[in-house]
Amino acid sequence: MATNEKVDVVIVGAGASGSTFAAVLAKAGKKVVLLEQGPDWQLSDLISSDLWGRRIKPAGAPFQSEGKNPYGYAYQSGWGVGGAALHYFANFPRLLPSDFKIKSEHNRALDWPISYLDLAPYFDKVARDVGVSGDAKAEEIWRPAGEPYPMPPMKTFRNGEIWLKGFEANGIRMVPAAVGMNSTEFKGRPACLYDGWCHVGCPIGALANPLVTYLGDARKAGAEVRALSTVTRVMVNDKGDRATGVEYYDAQKQRQVQEASVVVLAAWAAQNPRLMLNSSTDKHPKGLANSSGLLGKYMMAHYASGTWALFDEDVENHMGTIGAQYMSYERYAKESHKGAFGSTYIVAGTALKTNDLGGFANARADLFGPALAEFMKSAKRGLTRITAFGEEMPNIENRIELVSDKDDFGMPRAKIVHSFDDDAIRVWNANFEEGLKVAKAAGAKEMWSGRGPMPTIHLFGGTIMGTSAGDSVVNSFGQAHEIPNLYVAGPGTFPTEGASNPTYTIFAVSLRGAEQLAANWSTVAG
Amino acid sequence: MQTLERRALIKGAALGVLAFTVGSAEVFLTPREAHAQGVPLRTLNADEAKTLEALGETLAPGAREAGVVEFVDQQISGPAEEALLEARILNVRPPYANFYRAALGAVDRMSQTQGKRFVELSASDQHDFVDRMRQNKLEGWQGPPPPFVYTLLRADAVDVVYGTMAGYEALGIPYMAHIAPTKRW
Repeated sequence: MATNEKVDVVIVGAGASGSTFAAVLAKAGKKVVLLEQGPDWQLSDLISSDLWGRRIKPAGAPFQSEGKNPYGYAYQSGWGVGGAALHYFANFPRLLPSDFKIKSEHNRALDWPISYLDLAPYFDKVARDVGVSGDAKAEEIWRPAGEPYPMPPMKTFRNGEIWLKGFEANGIRMVPAAVGMNSTEFKGRPACLYDGWCHVGCPIGALANPLVTYLGDARKAGAEVRALSTVTRVMVNDKGDRATGVEYYDAQKQRQVQEASVVVLAAWAAQNPRLMLNSSTDKHPKGLANSSGLLGKYMMAHYASGTWALFDEDVENHMGTIGAQYMSYERYAKESHKGAFGSTYIVAGTALKTNDLGGFANARADLFGPALAEFMKSAKRGLTRITAFGEEMPNIENRIELVSDKDDFGMPRAKIVHSFDDDAIRVWNANFEEGLKVAKAAGAKEMWSGRGPMPTIHLFGGTIMGTSAGDSVVNSFGQAHEIPNLYVAGPGTFPTEGASNPTYTIFAVSLRGAEQLAANWSTVAG
Repeated sequence: MQTLERRALIKGAALGVLAFTVGSAEVFLTPREAHAQGVPLRTLNADEAKTLEALGETLAPGAREAGVVEFVDQQISGPAEEALLEARILNVRPPYANFYRAALGAVDRMSQTQGKRFVELSASDQHDFVDRMRQNKLEGWQGPPPPFVYTLLRADAVDVVYGTMAGYEALGIPYMAHIAPTKRW
């Protein structure tokens, strides 16, 4: 076992949240090491192909999935620098004020320990840092005013525009989508080409993935990235009140120790609690910082109701981005759908590819043989889709636990137990029904719901934030209540998930936490 | 990535081809070329290959010539972290060869309860068999869940027929690559 020279900060995971912490702390002059279990991808690795794009996702997750709606791990997570944000769709809706106080307003779920207004300046700052295109003014019919986005909205195409009539007929206002993409050149990064390969990684830097934003900034400021380095344990002192570093296995599968004044866990909502559960000591017998018993609890996922339609015209479905052209919070109020509870976020306008989970062939997963071949020909001209994302309420039974089976490094695997409740199912169904109404009013020739097993999209919870060690694992900055120099970053800290795609909020929450750490360095680092 | 590993990966991706072994030499071919040249298989046995080929062709016409067998065989013969299979993103636990062996074995065992291996069924009976597999209506099936087998093998067939540059061209869709897998793969 090798012990490395002690550093100021060791960050586990080089995805969206870890990169944000790294950038802030490296710029503040701290010696930062990022340990990333996957490869050190370069932009030139990002081949425009749905087959080759699978390389930037994990092969063989160390998680088992159980429950009525087993969690689909690999498609959602990352593997290598950039994390899941290397292949995200870069939709940048934000959480809305109501998301932060569901308990207060509805006596359901949980409140966040902060309000929307605490986070609002960080949404604006992230937009300036990474580049966001959209129309903030148009969005402000649903949220408090903030700064304009630094770039105008992206181009739209017929595959998005064709839906507008249908939305209007159903009382749903659509506005230009906020996306983490360049509609114009931004900070030396080029404007988007609208070729729809965002989801396999954008090699030109038009999409705000961590490589060209916070991770790039961190590296320029001196942060070191150690790829193919798998952390298995967080080390703490004998008293159990200070983290001292991490143990990890390097690219040669040799065991190493990296000591640090501050440890930041940014290995995603699933892996962070797995690591903390595996780091138990006599002072932390149930896992690190787990006196609340909530470590690994309240796991949440989004679900989507996709409505497919064939139009009798060429909708140019090869053009655009995988992110959205139009978005709406019109059904975001928690009680928008009668008899159901939870927010809905609606998007329209996306480029389509032929294969993989979101491609033509999966629009009709029941077809095969000559019928599939015929469908593929009709799809290329007139196929398009809208999607409504739904919110799941936190449920303590949805959880991560260690299991006895071990991975290649001798670390216990974990299981993710996940089931959607009746409210989620009702919101899912209501959104399918409304999607068909929209398609009909838009003049579609054929329309159908993209039903199948209820999908699990994004991942939240497991290390939720709150006001004390009695009700949560971390505070609003991500700082563990019981171990002040241990931070947890990413969507695992969200007590509720809203219905908005998570990454914009991940960046904002991480930026807030990292700036607090930098500002209080001597107190926290000791 | 490590420099040497990365260089090899980029070489393969930039050529749009995969590494196949012919004789003692490693050559870079598209799966379609590998099929046309009769490249020896490394992991699947002859019976498994025939079953996979017949299933692929039933699921997506053209999959045989597009090299579905050569694609899957090459992919399950290397490290999981380099695999391009949809199995990867649908959480199949490596080694992926285990899944394919179990799935193909289950298909033939089920088919033989009707007296024939899958490849020996008429095209119409193959279609009916796959349709029942899709709907989980094969009583006595022993193996991975039939609808999941349908989903994954269909995805492989779709990948080689429609997911390549040649596949896009055949459908008349502009591919518009930033970094192209050239040679139409």
